[in-house]
Amino acid sequence: MESKEHARGGIRRVPIYCNQCVCGPDLFKVQVQDGVALRIEPNFDLEGVHPAGGRVCVKAYGLVQKTYNPNRITRPLKRTNPRKGREHDPGFVPISWDEALDIVAGKLNEIRAKGLKDDAGYPRVAVSFGGGGTPTRYMGTFPAFLAAWRVLDQGYGSGQGTKCFHSEHLYGELWHRAFTVVVDSPYCDYIINFGSNHEASGGVSGVWRQADARARGMKRVQVEPHMSVTGALSAEWVPILPKTDAAFLYALIHCILHERDWRAHCDLPFLKNDTNSPYLVGPHGYFVRDAATGKPLVWDLAASAAKPYDDPSADAALEGRYPVSGYEEGPDAERWEHAGAQARPAFALLREHIAPYTPEWAAAQCDVPAQTIRRIADEFVAHARVGATIEIEGKVLPHRPVGLMLGKGVNNGWGGYQAMWGRTMLACLVGALEVPGSTIGTKVRINRPADNRLKSVRHGGDGFLDYPFNSTAKSEWQSQPHIRNGYKTLVPLAANSPWSAALGPAHLPWLFQHKAPKPWPRQSVPDMWICYRTNPAISSWNAPEVAKRIAEFPFTLAFGYTIDESNWMADVILPDANDIESYQLSRIGGTGSAEQMWRHQGWALRQPAVAPVGECRDMSDIATALAQRTGLLTDYNAAINRGAAGIALSGEGYDFTLDPNIAHSAREVWDAVAKAASFETSGGEHTHDIDWWSEHGFMIRPFPQLDWYLYPSMKEAGLRFEMPYQERIRRHGEQLERRLHETGIAWWDAQLKEYEALPAYFKFPDIWTGYARELGRDPAEFPLWALTSRSMQYSWGANVGLPLIREVALNVAGHDGIIINRATARALGIADGDAVVLESASGSTRGRATLREGIRPDTVLLIGQFDHWATPVAKDFGLGSLNSVTDLALSLTDATGSGADIMRVKLRKATAAEKAARGAA
Amino acid sequence: MARYGMVVDLNRCVGCQTCTIACKSTNDTPPGVQWRRVLDVEQGSFPDVQRLFLVTGCQHCAEPPCVPVCPTGATRQREDGLVTMDYDTCIGCASCAVACPYQARTIVHEQPGYYGEQTVQERKTAHAERRGVANKCTFCVERVDQAAASGLTPGVDPQVTPACAVACITQAIRFGDFADPASEVSRLTATQRSFQMHAELGTNPQIKYLYEVPNSMPGRDADAADRDDERLSDLANPLVGARQGFWDYRAAMNFILGGMSSGLAVVAWLAYLGGALEPSALRGLHVAAAAIMALGLFFVFLKIGRKARFLRVLLRPQSSWMTRETWCVAVFYPAVAASFLWPSATVAALAALAAAGFLLCQARIVYASKGIPAWRAPLMPWLLAATGLLEGTGLLAIALGAGVAGSVAPVAGAGIALAALNAVLWWRYRASARANGIGPLSRRDLGALSRPLHALGHAAPAVLFALALAAGPIAAALAALAGVAAVLAGAWWKLVVITRVCHQQGFALPKLPQRGSGRLASPARVPAGHGYDGVAQAPAARAHR
Repeated sequence: MESKEHARGGIRRVPIYCNQCVCGPDLFKVQVQDGVALRIEPNFDLEGVHPAGGRVCVKAYGLVQKTYNPNRITRPLKRTNPRKGREHDPGFVPISWDEALDIVAGKLNEIRAKGLKDDAGYPRVAVSFGGGGTPTRYMGTFPAFLAAWRVLDQGYGSGQGTKCFHSEHLYGELWHRAFTVVVDSPYCDYIINFGSNHEASGGVSGVWRQADARARGMKRVQVEPHMSVTGALSAEWVPILPKTDAAFLYALIHCILHERDWRAHCDLPFLKNDTNSPYLVGPHGYFVRDAATGKPLVWDLAASAAKPYDDPSADAALEGRYPVSGYEEGPDAERWEHAGAQARPAFALLREHIAPYTPEWAAAQCDVPAQTIRRIADEFVAHARVGATIEIEGKVLPHRPVGLMLGKGVNNGWGGYQAMWGRTMLACLVGALEVPGSTIGTKVRINRPADNRLKSVRHGGDGFLDYPFNSTAKSEWQSQPHIRNGYKTLVPLAANSPWSAALGPAHLPWLFQHKAPKPWPRQSVPDMWICYRTNPAISSWNAPEVAKRIAEFPFTLAFGYTIDESNWMADVILPDANDIESYQLSRIGGTGSAEQMWRHQGWALRQPAVAPVGECRDMSDIATALAQRTGLLTDYNAAINRGAAGIALSGEGYDFTLDPNIAHSAREVWDAVAKAASFETSGGEHTHDIDWWSEHGFMIRPFPQLDWYLYPSMKEAGLRFEMPYQERIRRHGEQLERRLHETGIAWWDAQLKEYEALPAYFKFPDIWTGYARELGRDPAEFPLWALTSRSMQYSWGANVGLPLIREVALNVAGHDGIIINRATARALGIADGDAVVLESASGSTRGRATLREGIRPDTVLLIGQFDHWATPVAKDFGLGSLNSVTDLALSLTDATGSGADIMRVKLRKATAAEKAARGAA
Repeated sequence: MARYGMVVDLNRCVGCQTCTIACKSTNDTPPGVQWRRVLDVEQGSFPDVQRLFLVTGCQHCAEPPCVPVCPTGATRQREDGLVTMDYDTCIGCASCAVACPYQARTIVHEQPGYYGEQTVQERKTAHAERRGVANKCTFCVERVDQAAASGLTPGVDPQVTPACAVACITQAIRFGDFADPASEVSRLTATQRSFQMHAELGTNPQIKYLYEVPNSMPGRDADAADRDDERLSDLANPLVGARQGFWDYRAAMNFILGGMSSGLAVVAWLAYLGGALEPSALRGLHVAAAAIMALGLFFVFLKIGRKARFLRVLLRPQSSWMTRETWCVAVFYPAVAASFLWPSATVAALAALAAAGFLLCQARIVYASKGIPAWRAPLMPWLLAATGLLEGTGLLAIALGAGVAGSVAPVAGAGIALAALNAVLWWRYRASARANGIGPLSRRDLGALSRPLHALGHAAPAVLFALALAAGPIAAALAALAGVAAVLAGAWWKLVVITRVCHQQGFALPKLPQRGSGRLASPARVPAGHGYDGVAQAPAARAHR
């Protein structure tokens, strides 16, 4: 149904949402004539509402070509070659939908008959759904089918391992309900950004906001080994050695706490009242607690006595050493009673902890001059405007216009905890956390409710936010992993929300399938693996190895767009209708990933602007058909009624529930959702059906700007930010160590060392430099760092098969080769465009040399994720991929279960034989 | 009257290519054609590096060099400043494409789909009228033109604003009316400093690039090191222009054959006036010149994108040297024919003058190609004219050597003088190349060309003509040999200059925003009066929002 007001020239303009990355949804319109989609354009109906004026990014414009791509799979395919592997042509043949659904449902029914879990106790069905939760915006009612199925292994993650902002997700939620952390750029004057390629990954709203901030005069210092698109747009680029960001952060803190008058420049009221800085820490390293109330104690300077932290009369000490009575509670409820024991405020321990991390020390770690670090520390403090306030919607809040961002590679893998702690601590020193202009969170995925992070502000004891840790207590610890990545067993911080499985060590199942450590339960392969909008055989660390693991799966159901490297191993491929061919409603607005900071919230519709190409079918109809064939229709409909399609279909004052016993078309399902969504958005005033939504495309209501900031909710609840001292982390670490050792598991010991109350810096680059030894190689063979960087044009878009995207992406350096420092290349006799080979201890990749100055001489960069060998169009790019040289390894996995996109490599010119082989391939 | 233009904020653009793809979507441009292209520019050396993104495309110049060169009137400038294309009139001669110093124009002769065969959408959005003719950014003229009827304002209302501007996710591209002081583009250029690219060429482009942040960071001058020969020789540097591909050997053949034939017609007539040539011989040589010229014109005919429309080349005598060249042809051929029917000195003179006009027009066609620095150099038209005359002299000498009746000595004398003139012109052309903005790549090609050209094209004819003056019995043979050298050398350098020494005008950034790294980084700045010890004060006090 078209937007009638814009119908002209026989061209209809159909409103649809785009969520090809984690930053949306943003809205666009597709021009349609005679049933053919012609063009994409922004949806200017949202111009005054959408934070980026109704714009969409470059990827959305590829959707028309994506629809009519002649390489698209438009009929269900069945594998005819039982042998699986890169080297085996799958022999796909088209089959009817009936046959395809019968095969899949037959397999599912067979599994159900055997039991939802296998002999090893793992779910027989495993699923991988693309990155960042974006598929849930696309997969129609398939989540309802999964809910009806009940037992699934989602521990293979999104299909790329924990390449997300992993430590940020976990620690961000722990400390300030910030699954993703951004800067409040409209009110910010100074940003130190450690490798977050915001201008490529920030979505249209984030990019728009920071462009405005730049135009206003906001200064951004970009600290990263290569000058990304974001580095380009920054006032300063600091080319830091990879994986030493925490050292830089620690030195910044050191400068403020030891080289400047911290009492004059830090936000003392914030530290005293809004953090655990004054909490007294006892000789065993745990808070000293009041014997009567169990509350941690602070030292009241006025009364010269210890008082519970929440005693309003206390003027808490940040320095000193005080004799206190009470007790410490260690791991497993161990208790140490104290009478007059010496205790020190956490802040004093912080100062002591940070004392060795001088700028000169950091200079040696980071390869950044000490005076640069000092200057940046001074600029940060000066810009923080401690004491300033600002009025937002009638409420006066602190105004701290300094922000800190961490990028991938910094906030995941080893060093991620330290970088996160350093960032959050630095912000806390000047009170620049969750207030206007500062570092703020956008959403929650671990805590509940998922759609309102402010409502997730609840007491968790000791004046801190609660957090649903996976228990490490002896009686509650899950010793037997319930899914293959064992997140409940290994990662207390991963918690147990619907997202937690994917937030566990999602690369470990691939590793353990090949070789599991001992002791650990034998890892079975799932009877069925369902793969949707993801290509792990390209996007995982050590992607070639992951492709081999996929080939070992007995039955793979892929929802496929074109043939790709993962569905190459599929038994059945089902072609789902795409973004402009199918129905779904999605929430929009509020706050979300990457500076999606709206002043509105509501819903938007995706709808079939054109009929699906070929026999492609709406995902919701596929889900319904599978539910019917597996006898799960009632449960499936019930799940939809409960809210599996995004909103409960009944509630106070409304009831649009579906008859659970009959099959409903996609349109019928989304019509009910549309009514519920409009009821919710209008506060019960309107009930719009799908026809109304088809014409208007979206519906919104105001979202208070005050809700961008957590600080008011924290104050209201009387809560503090759990900084600097990590008592809970330490306790969980010690308990987990006991539990694992009780089970005989020693292979997680390196990870257990991370659970420190005040995290020490470790020379993180050595982890990767030394990894070669693990594979019997000499680290000296691999003198360079290999990194990756975000491509806005490709990232998340499943659009490598679109020559249109390729054409425009080539305008951005690095999209046609491996970025190498010009001097390094010269020394190796490599000229621009030369075929080169990158080798690590575990793999190799090839590409063409792109010579640039904006990269450290010891670093090479591979943008995006390529090295395709099956995907049409992309397999002819001749582009390398970092994923071909990285590895899956326990030693490269941190305590949160995350690795990082980084590897040590050597670089050389390709030989004539290699070039010829590549040409022939 | 409105004067539409754009403002591009270099401090905002993130190089995301959304404008590029939105333009492609809106304007249905075929594979490889980007009316709005954004370059990824890197300057400096590690660790002092600056990277920025440069929006390029048709600048809708107030003094557009593409308009006067158009022989058909297909490219025009409207009163509101838009430089428009009439696809149905254009013949695809590419004069405009080589005249544009902004690499804004393309000519696509085939329109395959992105996947080879066109998809259903590509078929529906194909523009047959754009095949074989010049294409460029139109500032989305169809949208702008809806403003009048709809009551909307270009630059304010997205429906009547160019697609790139309204798709831009950073508001780096703004469109509007520079004639309206209240428009956003006027306000921005009034309050922030901007530059126009290649302003020194006199094109007065209507895209203005903002390069500073008011009240906080002034822009900075381009670093000399980024304009050195090494940087400007690197074709991976997007600021460097590659060789033009619009005019190939077929276009060169017109300048080669047209130059020598018109030169012959003129020189033969001068020889006839000087008594060194009989009237009948003059007529024969004019016929020969006409034949050679026809062959050259045939090559051009092969090159143009829309052959059936070739007669439209006659439509713009008021400004197009290509039109004037064609009119000279239209006089020359009848005059040559008439010289047989009504032999007279007047008719012969008419033919010779038409040929001289033709030669002059050819020289000016190349010179008018403002997009090719090596062609627009001030000495280029003189070189082409002098070479045409030397080639004509050479052809005459060959004719005399082949038995055409006439005196060798004056021809040889003229040959020596013309060879010397060409040598001097070429030497000065090359010596002034850098000063005239010819980049190192073209200069390198010129350098490779110079020594052999001086030897074969200047010294050899001069020496051989001199020997012919002294050598009695074999004078005609020596002169003919000199002529062969002159003709071959002339043809050779024109072929090389048209097809090799033809690097397009690159892009330039005379001013840049302050950012980058190391010594290129913006200095520290904090709000004034912050009271913090040990921090440099901001360069200028800045009002907080």
